[in-house]
This record gives sequence, C-alpha cells and structure tokens, in this order.
Amino acid sequence: MEVVNPRSSLLSNYEVLNLLRELESDHLAKTKTALRIKKEEEASGKPVTGATTIEDEICENLRTVEVEAIQYLTGDFQPIAAQSDAGITKLVQNLEPYGFTKAEKLQIVNLAPTEPVELYVIVEELEDRLGERMEEVLSHVRASLDPDAVVAVSSTQPSGGVAENQPTSNSATEAEATIEVYGEETWMQDTNYIEWDDSGEGAGIEGDLEMDDE
Amino acid sequence: MFQLSIIKDTLPILPAAFALPPEQALISAINKKYANRVLHEVGLCIAVFDLVEAGEGKVRYGDGCLWYKVTFRMVVFRPFASEVILAKVKSSDEEGIRLTLGFFDDMYIPLAYLPQPAAFDPNERAHFWLPEAATEDGSAPSTHELLDSPTTSRMYIDKGEVLRVRVEIDEFYDDEPGPPKATEGVRVEREQRRAPYTVTCSIAEQGLGPVAWWKSAEPAAEGEDKDQG
Repeated sequence: MEVVNPRSSLLSNYEVLNLLRELESDHLAKTKTALRIKKEEEASGKPVTGATTIEDEICENLRTVEVEAIQYLTGDFQPIAAQSDAGITKLVQNLEPYGFTKAEKLQIVNLAPTEPVELYVIVEELEDRLGERMEEVLSHVRASLDPDAVVAVSSTQPSGGVAENQPTSNSATEAEATIEVYGEETWMQDTNYIEWDDSGEGAGIEGDLEMDDE
Repeated sequence: MFQLSIIKDTLPILPAAFALPPEQALISAINKKYANRVLHEVGLCIAVFDLVEAGEGKVRYGDGCLWYKVTFRMVVFRPFASEVILAKVKSSDEEGIRLTLGFFDDMYIPLAYLPQPAAFDPNERAHFWLPEAATEDGSAPSTHELLDSPTTSRMYIDKGEVLRVRVEIDEFYDDEPGPPKATEGVRVEREQRRAPYTVTCSIAEQGLGPVAWWKSAEPAAEGEDKDQG
C-alpha cells in the first residue's frame, strides 16, 4: 500500500452523507434481491448457488462505519436535514466576495451557523475582516437552509429510515458539488500532481506482477 | 472533517468474485480491507469514493486470485487542526471529557482545554463551568471553592450532550508488539495499548461547549474574551 496523496481534497459532511446513503440503499437493494433469489430457488427446489453467498458477505466493517456515520450526520443537532445541493452551491457562490479561506467555507457549509456566536468560532478575527457584513453572511446561510425540511425530517428522525425515504442523488451531482465547493483549480492540479509509479522495482508481489510486462 | 485520500495498492480478487464486474469486485475488496480502519498519518477510512485507475488483473504462481494494481480515492475522517465540529459527550472523569461521533470515539478534552474556572463534580460524574467565580480578581478559585458553590449556578456538561468543539491536535500511534523489553534482567511491563488515532479537542473559548449554552446568546457576549487556547 502506498499513500499517493493523504489529502487530495476536503469533503463536506453533506457529500459524505450522500455517498453513504447511496451505499446504504445499494446494500439494501442487494440484500433484497439476494433474498428474493434465494426464496425463488428454494421454492423451485433448486440447490442454492454460490452467486448469492458472495453478496451476503458484505464487509462488516464497512456496514458498521456506514451506519454509525449516517447516524451521526443525520443527528438532529446537524443542519444537514435542511441542506440541499442547490442550497449549498448557492451558499458557496454567495460567500465568494467575503474572502473566506477554503477551510472556513467548508465549516460554514458543515455547521451552517445562523447565530453570530457560531460564526465567531469558525472565522478568525471576524470583526476586523467582516465588520458590519456579518449579518449578510448569516442571512446567506439562513437562505440556504430549507425551513420545511427541518420540520419534516426532525419529525421522522431517528435515521435509518431516512435513507429509504429520501431520493439519493447520483454520483454525478455529487462530483459537481465537490468542484463547486472547493474550486476547480485544486481539482485539476491534484489530478495532474499524481505521478504514476509503475516501474514496480520492488520485490514480492509488485515485482512478480511486472515481470511479464517489462 | 472528511477528506479524500488517494491510495495505491495491489489487491487479490478471489475466484468466487470473478462473476462480478471487475470495478464492483475491486471496490468491495478495497472496502473490506480499509473500511473502518485507521491508516497511519492518514486518518480513519470510511469508504471508497471512486477508482482512479486499475491495471489488468494478473494471475500469480501459487494462488488462483487475480491481482490488481489499483489507485483509488478513499473518504477519510481526519478533522484538520482548528476545525470546529459537533460531538457528543461519551463520558467524563477526573482527567477530562471523552467525546464520541458514533463512528469514532477516541476524542478527548483534557482539563486544560475546559472553560475556566471549571471543576469535576464526583457526585454527578460531570464537569461544570462556573462563569461567575472568575470575576473578582482574576485569580483562579480553588477546586474546593468551586465545589462549594450552589448547584444552581453551575453549568454542567452532562453525558450525551452535544458539544461544539475545536480540534487542537491529532496523534497517531503505531504500537507494534515488539520483543519483550528487559532492563537489567527484569521484565518491563508493557504500557497499555493506546488507541491508534486520537483527537484532542478544546472547548475553552467563547462559542464552544454545549450547543445549548450559546443558543440564545446575544452578540454582546463577544467583548469579554475568555479565550484560553
């Protein structure tokens, strides 16, 4: 194993939640199909084939971390329930003129501060940098949150079920969001930055694999 | 608090998974190897984000697996220093507060990062903050004085409460069970296993601490800066 780049970009909580929900619904769908196939096979008296068992052994670790992270991200103390792709994109655009750093923008998106105290914690030297414009920032944040969603979701909270109820966006929009938030330039730069080390001079497996190539 | 890490690895796919499309088989192999594990100096791996590049699967002498060289992007939990995050109190003791995020619970607030003056109440098993006690002459009141205070004026940090915390430092430990150490013929007891990844947080700042403390706070509170960090 080799870490090419430990931090190629930062992700917002919202993006992570979308990814995990997608995994979760994928998993549910798979389990359902597997069960259905199994039942059909049992009904028709055929011996159970190996195909279903592969699906069954979906990694325990992944399931654990997935479920726990979804629970954390959908907790009622998180603003995520009221956030949306469009809202976040708009918010990031609106924050542009204030000269926040990338990290500050990320935290504003993650925590959605609606009160001055919360913003003070996130942004250093807030008063010097923003002065009177602080209220504007807070109103941008408030505008990005959908008040109806908060009510709707907090009533149906204790997670789990949320994954099924809400349509998960596909990975295309997710990738879009990433670029929106963190700026295209870093994205491009990062992909170019990778040096493909395919020389495989090391011994062991790596060496074995390269043998017939070179 | 989450980031994408690009990782390169060589992984075997068991013959049983040959029926699946290779991407799918690879992603599940990667998830199996990395999900919910701490990578040294990288962070806690959550799940595969996507594959960047994968070579042809190759068969080696000795097993029936297809070995793939693959580069992928991983969603990793690694809050950066000074990031503000929300966490729940898992437990409190004399040494400080332990926090949990559900999927990660090696997060601590040591005594030095509590808002001053604060003390630990052994009866309630919780720390409390006593903002009034600090006012007189700037000198910190003793723990004794703090514990004599009327319970009503204490601001407790109870178990299960949601705190807004600032990440101060994160540390990785890679404790390998090496050979037994012996000094002058006497076996030295090995120290206890440390968590591979710990995050140290602070709530010693205006706006940090239980979210409820600051819910209705007025902007006027900013003047008196009790910043400890």
